[in-house]
Amino acid sequence: MTTKTQAQTQAKSRRKTRAALESRATRRKRATAAELADRHDLYERSVQDPENDVATMARLFKRYRGRDPLSMREDFCGTATLSVEWAASREGRWAVGVDLDVPTLAWGLSHRIEPAPPEVRARVQLIEGNVLDGLGPATDIGCALNFSYSVFKTRAELRRYFAKARETLTDDGLFIIDAWGGWESLKPDHDKRKLDGFVYEWEIERFDPLTNDVVCHIHFSFADGSRIDRAFTYRWRYWSVMELRELLAEAGFSRVHALWERTDEDGEGTGAWFEPRHVDDQELWWTYLVAER
Amino acid sequence: MARREREQPKRKPVRKPKQADTADRHALYQDAVQVPEGDIEFFETAYKRLRGKKPLVLREDFCGTAFLASTWVASHPKRRAIGIDLDKATLDWGRQHNLAKLSPAAKKRIALHQADVLDGVGEAADLTCALNFSYCVFKTRDLLRRYFASVLKTLKNDGVFVTELYGGTEAVIEIEDEREFDDFTYVWDQAMYNPITHETLCHIHFDFPDKSRMEKAFTYDWRLWTVPEIRELLLEVGFASVEVWWEGVDEDGEGNGEFEPTEREENQESWLVYIVAAK
Repeated sequence: MTTKTQAQTQAKSRRKTRAALESRATRRKRATAAELADRHDLYERSVQDPENDVATMARLFKRYRGRDPLSMREDFCGTATLSVEWAASREGRWAVGVDLDVPTLAWGLSHRIEPAPPEVRARVQLIEGNVLDGLGPATDIGCALNFSYSVFKTRAELRRYFAKARETLTDDGLFIIDAWGGWESLKPDHDKRKLDGFVYEWEIERFDPLTNDVVCHIHFSFADGSRIDRAFTYRWRYWSVMELRELLAEAGFSRVHALWERTDEDGEGTGAWFEPRHVDDQELWWTYLVAER
Repeated sequence: MARREREQPKRKPVRKPKQADTADRHALYQDAVQVPEGDIEFFETAYKRLRGKKPLVLREDFCGTAFLASTWVASHPKRRAIGIDLDKATLDWGRQHNLAKLSPAAKKRIALHQADVLDGVGEAADLTCALNFSYCVFKTRDLLRRYFASVLKTLKNDGVFVTELYGGTEAVIEIEDEREFDDFTYVWDQAMYNPITHETLCHIHFDFPDKSRMEKAFTYDWRLWTVPEIRELLLEVGFASVEVWWEGVDEDGEGNGEFEPTEREENQESWLVYIVAAK
């Protein structure tokens, strides 16, 4: 058994070794910030807010089902940081993460799951597999966030995915996805956001109105002028809220709720989600859709 | 009554009617929005490309005043047209103004039906059209699928369906777009767009030189469909192929009225496409 002090010592020596290796490399050629950076780490810091997602999903489940959700399935989980956050959020909560990409899962395993406390770690299961195969146990909540379902470009494929997502829910389960839009969203754009130690760049390379195919990239740039160009590339079909609502209904979900975030007097999101019949379009927005099994 | 008359100090001056009061909204609409000769030219091009011949029987769904159907039968002695619309008053206006101008022979070759386009009344057509986005009144996939299925059924075996769609980044914003004509200004008013239902509410107003306005001469309560949705539905009901025709631009970037079939485009502020589906 490793004590806390032992672990700290080990970590310290690991850091030392890394520093030594890095300084050796520096003697040859100083490594750029882009070379030293980890794109998964940068991604998490740029676009993910697992704590907030966990709180929102749990709140929505309680609203529609009147009980506390225990289990959550994260489709397209990537590094599974949301799954870990879910399991850590309350005793008894457990999560299943499903993704096709082995290197990304491996990163999540070593950086997110293994460092977690044993009792949390024990409640996270990673599955290398296709979300269309419906692997793993049924959960109270299923989710596909960050628009990841957009890799499915035909109605037939997306319907098949939604039907699988429904099957792998408990009897009163909820399936939660996010959607985006706005009149500024469907054209070439390059948006930069300064974050702690780097700049996150979201590029929409092209949007084709004949197919609704959209190509997007995430780049990271650094103060030393280096950058990770196309750290992530997405070749998606843009699905509009109505298309998603219709497909969820066709896939067998009994009710679909299109939510919208309440804003304060400055137009900032408040984290409170309601279900309006009508909203005014905005330049850019993203929102949640909740489907009842 | 008598007392009231006595109390009136003098007769009110007769109010000169404003231009908006006397103008005819259907005539204004035809002037501002419709170019039937252009549509017919396009129909001939698209049909010939698919079938190698000229279409003879046209079915104009949501025909309104049947301006297009009337122009069609007048354009060739062998051409026949069927016009379908729910609104009797608009059909009557068309009979009085558009059909009345036709030769007796041409008039015999046009049949207007006050009917629902979902019911598929009238003879089978070579080419059926639903222009000016009129099918956007169908707000669910089920209804629109039913309509497209009805179109397919009332086409001849080698029939072709032509429809239009608009879009672009400015299609979903609240905006008033004005276009000046000789004696009036046409105003296209996108009053509302709801991103969670894709419903849009649009109006046409007409402004006149005497500052009067015909407010909400026409109102459209639509679902703004997207091109892939229309293509998917057309293929779902059994059309064999669906092509999208995109308008070319002149050196100033303005539409030049020349449409070409295309498979890949960049989004624009505003675009209008013809969608051509072959049975």
